[in-house]
Amino acid sequence: MKRKIGLALLAIAILAWAVASGCTRMAGGAGGSAAQKTYVKPGEHDTHYAFLSGGHSGQVFVYGLPSCRYITTIPVFTPEPAKGYGYDEESKAMLGGFTWGDAHHPGLSETNGNFDGRWLFINDMPHARIARIDLKDFTTREIYGPIPNISAAHACPYPTPNTEYVFAASRFSAPVPTNKVAKVEDYVKDFKGVIAGIKVSSEGRMSMGFEILMPPFHWDLSDAGKGPSHGWQFFTCYNSEMAHDTLEVKASQAEMDYVAAVDWRAAQKAVDEGKADMIGGAPVLNPEKVKGIVYLVPTPKSPHGMDVNPTGEYICASGKLQAEVSVFSFKKLMAAIDAKKFEKEIMGVPVLAYDDVLEAKVPVGLGPLHTEFDGKGFAYTSLFLDSQVAKWKVGTWEVVDKIDVYYSIGHLSVAEGATMNPTGEYLLALDKLSKDRYLPVGPSHPEGAQLIDLRGNKMELLYDFPTYPEPHYGQIISASKIKPLKIYPLSENKNPHAIKSAEEARVERKGKRVDAYMVAVRTHFTPDVIRVAAGDTVYFHVTNLEQDIDITHGFGILNSNIDMQVEPGETKTVKWVATAAGITPFYCSNFCSALHQEMQGYLEVAAAGTRIAGVQRPPKKQVEEVAALLRRR
Amino acid sequence: MTRYLLGSFQASERRWIVVAALVLLPVFFLPVLPVWTMKLWAPQYPEGLQLTIYAHTIKGDLDNINTLNHYVGMHKITPDDFDEFRYMPQLLTFFGVMALLAALVNRRWLAVLGWLGFTAFAVYMFRDYANWLYHYGHDLDPRAALKLEAFTPPLIGYKQMANFKVWSLPGPGTLLLGFAWLLGPIVFWIERRAERQSAESVAKTVGVPA
Ligand SMILES: [Cu+2]
Repeated sequence: MKRKIGLALLAIAILAWAVASGCTRMAGGAGGSAAQKTYVKPGEHDTHYAFLSGGHSGQVFVYGLPSCRYITTIPVFTPEPAKGYGYDEESKAMLGGFTWGDAHHPGLSETNGNFDGRWLFINDMPHARIARIDLKDFTTREIYGPIPNISAAHACPYPTPNTEYVFAASRFSAPVPTNKVAKVEDYVKDFKGVIAGIKVSSEGRMSMGFEILMPPFHWDLSDAGKGPSHGWQFFTCYNSEMAHDTLEVKASQAEMDYVAAVDWRAAQKAVDEGKADMIGGAPVLNPEKVKGIVYLVPTPKSPHGMDVNPTGEYICASGKLQAEVSVFSFKKLMAAIDAKKFEKEIMGVPVLAYDDVLEAKVPVGLGPLHTEFDGKGFAYTSLFLDSQVAKWKVGTWEVVDKIDVYYSIGHLSVAEGATMNPTGEYLLALDKLSKDRYLPVGPSHPEGAQLIDLRGNKMELLYDFPTYPEPHYGQIISASKIKPLKIYPLSENKNPHAIKSAEEARVERKGKRVDAYMVAVRTHFTPDVIRVAAGDTVYFHVTNLEQDIDITHGFGILNSNIDMQVEPGETKTVKWVATAAGITPFYCSNFCSALHQEMQGYLEVAAAGTRIAGVQRPPKKQVEEVAALLRRR
Repeated sequence: MTRYLLGSFQASERRWIVVAALVLLPVFFLPVLPVWTMKLWAPQYPEGLQLTIYAHTIKGDLDNINTLNHYVGMHKITPDDFDEFRYMPQLLTFFGVMALLAALVNRRWLAVLGWLGFTAFAVYMFRDYANWLYHYGHDLDPRAALKLEAFTPPLIGYKQMANFKVWSLPGPGTLLLGFAWLLGPIVFWIERRAERQSAESVAKTVGVPA
């Protein structure tokens, strides 16, 4: 009998264990505690990537969801020594002399209205630039701009459904062209808003498409039409009062501001037909002269967020000083335009009637900012003043759920919520303040992000995590859509300064310019002794010959501002000026292997004017030794 | 003894010798079937590193293995260092041609000679491979950064070497060659059996106890 009970207990224990381990395995499923739903076992991977813009840190932060683990930082507008970004000549040239940017809105490239995992675009608002990050290597590959005539690109970049365009619009209206001398008092006469459509090639390269002169409002946010509204781009604005000082008061007086609807195909056609004027190097369309490219829709109380729902039928604008989201119907918008039912014109732009275009007003709560959508017909709006997220149903326009967030939420991001097919499992609340949520670190508090589960009927807060300033907006994509390179194949290294064997390693001199062609491999540089004279400018071209995963070599020069990171198969160049005679060591700054510490060399700097051979090669014996080690097929 | 060297084969045995010849003619499998594979794992290489030896070359993560091996002063593994890769395919073809010839001209001594030669070749190759393994683990550069006690990587089977787990196994190429080699004794056995059966049947018909 005792034995039977024992067996029964054992059976129950096994059953309990099986259920428990089953639950852990279901960490992605709907059941279990919040801890279980965010737990990703050591060695296992998250199901989603979250790309959070770094605001004025000028970077992009990458997190894994649902674990909320920080994975990496992608430097974009700010030098980052850990990745050597902004120190080697190529990335320095790309940064164009700026060492900061205010990165606001990451936008993943799309194909047929869905994220395709090729690139991530992000704006630098104050300098009106757009960067393209290649998701093959999570590296910034292009920075386009400053875009002519644009004064702070805030409504930017928001790609179109096939990444035909990324857009930019002036947040601070200003004189056009930018170098025009004007008085602030002449704001209404001399200042202009500008909307720019930047073309994206199939390789991702950006080029100027068109610009449109807009009334001098402050253009705020943007979203691309999709499905039926494909071909249109929408923008919100504030300060339609056209005040030029004390905006806090003067820009909040009017009941209505505007949403601008741009027919980008018509705009591009007008430019192609030669209807634009070249201003500041960009083809600029003036709505006074060119009709049919842009319309205004009156929208209550300084609308901020601009969000088109997944079907592309509804255009949602959140009046940030109102408690409602205005939902416009694209069908009604087209009907009003076709009927030419305009209330008036502002600086050549026809204005439609609010009631002709409005579909619904959703009473979400105080301070509505941004709305994103899941794949089940629900919308989620961030409420800055209420510190809440409101969930509402598209079509019935009912608010069905609300959840508190901590604190002062700005943007929110739903998994693939900006596409035509959101996966919609998770929502990230991107909070401006974190106050008491983390261990205190003095008066500067981290920003906060919060993971909310959208899979049940009720929203559920799963996790809090602090971030470096400032996760302004984020994009969440299924991990399966991103397949990064593990190394750069050396055979595909087309860098003109690359050398692929020890035999080619050398130092060449032309006058006072010295080019050192070096190879790095575990655990030495070749050559490792380099002779120059004071006054020489030395370009170090370092090729990392490794083809093994995760073997990065660094190249840092003592007492200088020079360090770079060279990935397996990559070639990079840094410039160093030999200022005084003496010895300057250099070393591998990225821990690479057992003898990493020994991976170093010397720059022997002779007195200015010393004659030094035109070509230096490392000693033959050393080359042979190294070549035996390095020989690649 | 002379009985097996002189004389010819019956049709079924000849077929088997042709099969052996086809297997040995290396054009059929050389570039695709590995002769030997070695797989190595270490904590920092959870995906493993692999060496694959073909009759004419050696492939796999050679660069990575060489980069790691230089710390212990092991010789660099390069296909160019092995003369074997230059004569192994030819020798295999030679044995194939010999077997084919034996089947065509139907001479038993030719087949026996070929099989003995092939056996000697196989024994030599195993010893040769073992020597190479010994060489790699013993002739270490005295200037190497890490002083390791001399070692021999496993010829067949599993061995822990420093922080690496190593598995070494013959590949399908070797298995196929082994099968060709086995055909020698098999033909011999078939022949013996056939002879005995015919002797029995003769005995039966004549009435003499077998
Ligand atoms: Cu290194």
